[in-house]
Amino acid sequence: MTEALVVVEDLHIHFGAARAVDGVNLAVMPGEVLALVGESGSGKTTLIRAIQGLTHPTSGKVLFEGKEADTRHLPDVQMVFQDPTGALNPRRTVSEIVAEGLRIEKFKGNEAEAVSTALSRAGLRPPERFLRRFPHEISGGQRQRVVIAGAMVTEPRLLLADEPVASLDASIRGEILGLLRNLVDTTGLAVLVVTHDLGLAWNIADRVAVMYLGRIIEVGPTEELLDSPKHPYTKALLSVVPETRGMEQQILSGEIPDPKRIPSGCRFHPRCPVLQSGESERLGIAERCRGEDLAIISADATRDAACWAVSPRRGEWPVRAEGGVI
Amino acid sequence: MTALLSVRDLTVTYRTSQGEVPAVRGVSFELEPGGSLGLAGESGCGKSTMANAILRLLPAGTTTTGEVLLGEEDVLTMKPGRLRAVRWTGAAIVFQGALHALNPVQRVIDQITEPIILHKTEPDEKAAEKRAVDLLGQVGIPANRAEDYPHQLSGGQRQRVLIAMALACDPDLLIADEPTTALDLMVQAQVLAVLEKLRGERQLSMIFITHDLSVLTYVCDRLAVMYAGRIVERGPSDQVFERPTHPYTRALAAAFPTIGDRESRMNPSGLKGDPPDPAALPAGCPFHPRCPDAIDRCRDAEPPLLPSGPAQEAACILARP
Repeated sequence: MTEALVVVEDLHIHFGAARAVDGVNLAVMPGEVLALVGESGSGKTTLIRAIQGLTHPTSGKVLFEGKEADTRHLPDVQMVFQDPTGALNPRRTVSEIVAEGLRIEKFKGNEAEAVSTALSRAGLRPPERFLRRFPHEISGGQRQRVVIAGAMVTEPRLLLADEPVASLDASIRGEILGLLRNLVDTTGLAVLVVTHDLGLAWNIADRVAVMYLGRIIEVGPTEELLDSPKHPYTKALLSVVPETRGMEQQILSGEIPDPKRIPSGCRFHPRCPVLQSGESERLGIAERCRGEDLAIISADATRDAACWAVSPRRGEWPVRAEGGVI
Repeated sequence: MTALLSVRDLTVTYRTSQGEVPAVRGVSFELEPGGSLGLAGESGCGKSTMANAILRLLPAGTTTTGEVLLGEEDVLTMKPGRLRAVRWTGAAIVFQGALHALNPVQRVIDQITEPIILHKTEPDEKAAEKRAVDLLGQVGIPANRAEDYPHQLSGGQRQRVLIAMALACDPDLLIADEPTTALDLMVQAQVLAVLEKLRGERQLSMIFITHDLSVLTYVCDRLAVMYAGRIVERGPSDQVFERPTHPYTRALAAAFPTIGDRESRMNPSGLKGDPPDPAALPAGCPFHPRCPDAIDRCRDAEPPLLPSGPAQEAACILARP
């Protein structure tokens, strides 16, 4: 089995009383695109900051290539932000922007060559046409490519992409996603993409992990998870994506609760349609839903959902990476 | 039946340091009472400019020609007093970015009662407040939150306050410009459901603007796709989405994949190039440089909207019924 690039082990990150990350196990493999799906307040951003070494765990650990993650790993872990216009310094040329990572790293090789290579890899060809331009002189799609070139120039092992296409026009979206997928396929890079866009996951991700209120509540290979979601939260999310047709809409009321007051029992139970419809009662699990917290999904589970209605070992659940059922 | 809104050959030209920039270049459409029209397109295609032009909200120095008939009256030639009355009571607009559209130092109830009192659509202040609380209830905000300030509400709640506010004077037409773009998936669904409910309950007509075609298909009966300041395809929304006849619509429809569709799995689809600069539009069909199907003839002239299917029209020489 290949060694994981990133291993997150029983991670908890608290800010005062707020439990932003409240028990996460996760492994990111080299050469995979893993989509971390969740709404605002689910803890996705805190989790990726911890992977960068920018936020320290309250407990648990984050390992990057076997060593505790800290900012010294930053040349190996790069970031692509949502809004390329805000991410680029308007007073620097494209070549200065892309070279910045190299300069910070005190790169010894040929800088001009590295910058040109990164630009062409990001689809800005020929690179000479872009080197001296300023961000305002190029289009939005090209700006996002510059951001990606700047991230790729240090030849990172892991790219963290936070909603990389959310602020781009619809027609450009596909090209940028195609570029990311292509970089993964040709260089063995791993991409952890944070998004609330399930269509993006369908387009490029190998695996999907769904986060809710500080925990991963469902994980699995993209097709399996999106074709037959098991957790009622994932089901509800999928049902409201306008892109899934023919599914009955299940609009949850309210919003993600305050991470300072995480509900007891299953953290999703106050909004859960399975509990509300009386289904939990029928299955004889309503007490557990309300009062008993679920085990944290393990990092080596290839498919699992943290829900009393599905995970009490009903034959297929959960599945470990080595295959077979526990 | 007379149309509630009838836009005829609308053009909008901005005056900028680079000269005159045509943002909307001859758009015509009609909206029936209770109907809903979705306007799709990318940044710079003129969709927001058009929405603002309908209520004459564009900056001074902008040239607008054509007609915007709201009922029998042309909004573009109205006297200022009449225009003020028509805004809010005839047509109201919900902007994107709920964070910025609300006054941070005023309680939400006061922000909703303000237009009601100004337009005297309720007899007194007390009645206005009662109406404001009712409206908040209709968009799913409990009465005990009415005294809150905007920062005490979540993004989705703020967006719903904006909808309640737009409905304050019971307009016939609601224009919603990307009302759900900044919202989370579930909250977006909640807001769309509120709009859908209101439309059913009060025969409200709606113009809904976004770049996400599939959202429009879900909310609107009819769909118009804009590119470079013009409508390039229109028709019943399901039909336009499922059987697009303009290559640009096809690209937009494919940009957000249908989950479960094997063809789009690991195969994101997009268009080469970028939306054109309105100040320097390509000759001929403005879409031809990005069009996967373009032929030589596409460079010659800009094609008009012609029938391309039952009740469907497209501005493409290759689109045939």
